[in-house]
Amino acid sequence: MTGIAANNLLVRRNGATLLDGLSLSLGPTGSVAIIGPNGAGKSTLLKVLTGIDKPSAGTVRVGDRDLASLSNTQRASTIGYLPQYFEPHWDLSVAELVRLGADRSDRLAAGAIEAATEKFELTALGRRRWSTLSGGERARVLLAAVLVVDPPVLLADEPAASLDIRHRLDVIRALTRRPDRLSVVVVHDLDLAFTFFERVVVIDRGKVVADGPAKSLIDDRRIDEVFSVRFDRLKTPDGWLLRASTTNS
Amino acid sequence: MRVWALLILVLLLSIVIGAAAGHDWMSPADLLRALAGDTDLRSRLLIDWRLPRVLAAAFVGALLGLGGTVFQGVFRNPLAEPYLLGSAGGAALGATVALLVPLTAPQSLVLPVLAFAGAWAATMLVIGISRVAGAVDAAGMLLAGVAVAAVLGALRSFLMLALSDETVSLQIVLSWVLGGVQTPTWPILCLLAAISAACLALTLMLAKRLDVLGLGETMAIAFGLNVNRFIAFAVLAGSVVVAAAVAFGGLVAFVGLASPHIARWLVGPLHRPLLPASALVGAIVVTVADTIARSALPPAEIPLGLVTAVAGGPFFILLLARRLRT
Repeated sequence: MTGIAANNLLVRRNGATLLDGLSLSLGPTGSVAIIGPNGAGKSTLLKVLTGIDKPSAGTVRVGDRDLASLSNTQRASTIGYLPQYFEPHWDLSVAELVRLGADRSDRLAAGAIEAATEKFELTALGRRRWSTLSGGERARVLLAAVLVVDPPVLLADEPAASLDIRHRLDVIRALTRRPDRLSVVVVHDLDLAFTFFERVVVIDRGKVVADGPAKSLIDDRRIDEVFSVRFDRLKTPDGWLLRASTTNS
Repeated sequence: MRVWALLILVLLLSIVIGAAAGHDWMSPADLLRALAGDTDLRSRLLIDWRLPRVLAAAFVGALLGLGGTVFQGVFRNPLAEPYLLGSAGGAALGATVALLVPLTAPQSLVLPVLAFAGAWAATMLVIGISRVAGAVDAAGMLLAGVAVAAVLGALRSFLMLALSDETVSLQIVLSWVLGGVQTPTWPILCLLAAISAACLALTLMLAKRLDVLGLGETMAIAFGLNVNRFIAFAVLAGSVVVAAAVAFGGLVAFVGLASPHIARWLVGPLHRPLLPASALVGAIVVTVADTIARSALPPAEIPLGLVTAVAGGPFFILLLARRLRT
């Protein structure tokens, strides 16, 4: 069990402040949705937490260690990262992609590749090349490649944004169904965020604006402010429906 | 497995044909007799001249195939070729000095050494410039490579104009730049074989990480690759390979670009099988092209780079078109 904590993160690029002293403590387990308007700093936060981007100031702690002190192999097998867009440059097969994901760990559990292949229903697709896969199949391949090493922390940047609703639900379920893992997912669809995740973090202009259990945060008016709209909150049998209308202010 | 057997068979066949061909054609029986230790003139010609030249062509082709695969892998660009980072311009400059400046050491030694040094130094210059400019990524290196190549090309043209006179002909420089495998002595050929084997081992060490880099830089970092350090290392390794090819074969157009593509169609994009397959394809292509260069217009020799470009260009377009249609 490995929590992840951002401490006073500052990220500046070309004069723009992307993260502005952001602090956030997550985990060690559970599902967290990160929401916020475009340009709020969600993707940047995830990249800094993964170790892909370096912060200008501030630290990230993974468990009881500093992220910067982990070896590349430790970091890659502790934190799984699902990017917003993924397009491999070479037309690898499904089995080859899952294998590349597995090879980043130096202590892979026996049978992990077969288990991941089976779990994401890729057994029949093993020899198929990436270019021949549908969007839903691609999402499953990426999930299998990232989750094959069973990372205790999973950071996902809207991995399902371009999929149709059924596949999007499949992906969100796959990301959140493991209770012993910390899953942090940037979500654009607010209904999904409040329905499938235990905790919701609202980010705007590089800072945490609101943070709490999904059940209580749903009524928070700061969400309307951050997105510059007025939400009607409709309770449905299995979740929430947020209907937005533009405010006149 | 069948692909590998086929590649090796075709390579052996092209070596045999290459050894048999020339303005004095020989039969495979002559070749066998010569290999068995026969000492008549025809056999001596084969052992001392034909065979070393044909084998050198194969090794140069293999090196170009390896270099092209590494550069395409590092830059994740199917149009990347081994001469991309200034190595061609640097090698040509070194060769121009070797060919035009009267030096005391024998040219057969000075030429490969200066060509290697030029190729290597130019690549170092490109990497250095992209460092200083703070653009150590692939795009930064490519831009620096274009700039350095332009400067080196101008320098070489100036040297050619300034150093040539009635006694030193520009033609030998031109024909070197257009590519041509020198006929090595057997000890030099053994050196070339050892270098080629070392280059294969060196590039195979990069194979796994080239695969990871092919997932894109973001994903590669997430999968534990130190992307910037690896790119720098792979470029260094690739430029050693290319400098070796240039030192022994001059500038052979197109082989380093096409071989990885052809190999990818045969064995797929994973680098561990791709690197040796690309080396085999490059070896076959250069062996065949060198055979044509030696024997198409006897007694004259067509520069090898012209043959590879003229024959290879349309062949490559044809393959590409067929590939796209299916």
